Amino acid sequence: MKWLLSLFFIVTSLCANEADLIIKKLEKNLRGDYMYAQMKMIVSSKRGKRTVKIESWSKGNKKSFIKILYPKKDKGITFLKIDNQMWQYIPKIERTIKIPPSMMLQSWMGSDFTNDDMVKESSLEEDYRAKLLSKKGNSATLELIPREDAAVVWGKIIIDVDLKNAVPVKETFYDDMMQKVRVMTFSKVEQHGSHIVPMVMELKPLDASKKKNSTKIIFEKINYDAKIDPSYFTKHALKRYSR
Amino acid sequence: MMPKLTLLILQNMHSSVTQGKKMIFSLAFKNILKSKGRSVTTILLSTITTIFFIAYVGLTEGSRHQLIKNSVEIYTGYAHVNLKGYREDSGYDNLIENAGLIDKILTKDPSISHYAPRFETYTLLSTKEKSVGSLVAGIIPSREKSLSKLQSSLLKGDYLDDSDSNAIYLGSELAKRLKVDVGSEIAMVGSSIDYSIAADLLTVKGIFKTGLFEFDAQSAFVNKSYLDTIMLSDNKASYFTLYFYDNAPIDKATKALQSSLDAEYEAANWKDLLSALVQAMEVDRIFDYISISIFFMVIFFVIMIFSYVNIFTRVREIGLLRALGLTSKDIFMMLFAEILLLATFSVLIGILIGSSVVYYYELHPIVIPGIAETYKDYGIVSDELPMRFDLFTIAWNALTIFVFNLAAIVYPIIKINKFKVVEAMRYV
Repeated sequence: MKWLLSLFFIVTSLCANEADLIIKKLEKNLRGDYMYAQMKMIVSSKRGKRTVKIESWSKGNKKSFIKILYPKKDKGITFLKIDNQMWQYIPKIERTIKIPPSMMLQSWMGSDFTNDDMVKESSLEEDYRAKLLSKKGNSATLELIPREDAAVVWGKIIIDVDLKNAVPVKETFYDDMMQKVRVMTFSKVEQHGSHIVPMVMELKPLDASKKKNSTKIIFEKINYDAKIDPSYFTKHALKRYSR
Repeated sequence: MMPKLTLLILQNMHSSVTQGKKMIFSLAFKNILKSKGRSVTTILLSTITTIFFIAYVGLTEGSRHQLIKNSVEIYTGYAHVNLKGYREDSGYDNLIENAGLIDKILTKDPSISHYAPRFETYTLLSTKEKSVGSLVAGIIPSREKSLSKLQSSLLKGDYLDDSDSNAIYLGSELAKRLKVDVGSEIAMVGSSIDYSIAADLLTVKGIFKTGLFEFDAQSAFVNKSYLDTIMLSDNKASYFTLYFYDNAPIDKATKALQSSLDAEYEAANWKDLLSALVQAMEVDRIFDYISISIFFMVIFFVIMIFSYVNIFTRVREIGLLRALGLTSKDIFMMLFAEILLLATFSVLIGILIGSSVVYYYELHPIVIPGIAETYKDYGIVSDELPMRFDLFTIAWNALTIFVFNLAAIVYPIIKINKFKVVEAMRYV
């Protein structure tokens, strides 16, 4: 009996370690020290389709700066994220506005992403406890359960991983009641410098009233190798780089 | 020495026994008249109970009615017309896309007295110091005057008018949170219906206070025609709010309105719109009934004990009646007839006084200064506590006390009828 229990603990511990290693490798691949990107966000809803072009600069997962390039009406709107705080600059009224906590679950730019998605600095490695559910060849499925002290909104995430490229293939998000809330799929994997990145991400909410909704992000340019000027990550940048 | 009353009863009994049971009622009546003290006490007890019960229910029902009326009339309105699904998801996907069409339908409806479209959106209101998420509603100011209490709740500055642009009418608590006053500048940032960023600078034109704390802390209003230019929502509406000429038969009125709308639209009345409040009221009513039940039990036992004591002072008298030939059933009928007469009389008096009290306090509510401030989080917006005059409620209240009076006498009568004649006549 003791032998069986010991074996069980060893197997469980090995699985946990392997799951942690997979998550660590995946995060290291997707997050460089610096990242510059140009992307297109296509938002589909009952009201139609809308395309937003975005330029972004980020340093790790703590600081990022976003500038809207298109449509013309929104051109020059900038967002700054430092840790878990977010500011927005709107050229039309020349105001810098801090997004209050009560607005964090509101949609970001009409997409299926929330302001919270944009600012969250949650790390799958730090905030979740990973468990390997299955592994076959280069594919693995992991279950991520939030750690007790983690400030995250999800009850559980199931993530399918391409082990060869260390990129996610599909992430299924569950709420506190363990109901599926949304699914994010990743495709068009490309090598950029030392990183292998899925260039297309599509988020689909699973709410019955949002059957026609989806948000697709297509990376058009991505660069992990150039160091980004620290001036991008200050409140002055919001107005300065808006033009 | 036989008491005078018993002699009288015996005289009556002689004829009563011979003439049959019809006389029992007349005997009971005479008993009441002869035992004035006992009768008056019974009447007083029953009358006060009836008055108290009618007033208590009138007050609790009045408070609940007031709470719902405030919620309905301050902003919600008696009924809405919206796209099906809007109440579950009030985002832009469920807007009325052709507000003009609904407007035409509502204009033609003879049962509707007032109506107006509203466009509601969730925006960020920001000053240099603070940003607060807020509901901003585009309203037609002139038409809202007869649909909500927005204008009459003006605290400072001015109410909106139909030609306003860049003017905002803020709830008092929201103004406090933003630290602004009349004339201050506020940035409004939201999302247009094409999901592009909508932003503008607005000046605080007026500040209102309805007393509904949450509403005053989260709501702001602008002229709809102006908001439509910012949100690109021309000829669109979140919903139409409306009043019927007669809002009492609201279910019937809403059903009739629904039949004139296309299937994609929904007519919902205040019971649907304020379902959470309605449910809370139901829970409150259940707790009230539990309190009332305890009150009922106390009243029931008070009446029963009083009846018990009363009847046991008459054991010898009843023994004599039995000796003269009255059966247990006759005794039961006589005592029951006594309480029937007393209860009828006292409950009628109770109804008269109780309903007058309730009616008076419905017209002139009790005022407890400071109660609204203390209970503002519970939706209490006024220091007035009106009672609710409702004949049906008064009738069932009175009937309950009446039945209690009758029920309370049954046990003492059964108990006294168990005495044997000799035993009863010797009872001290």
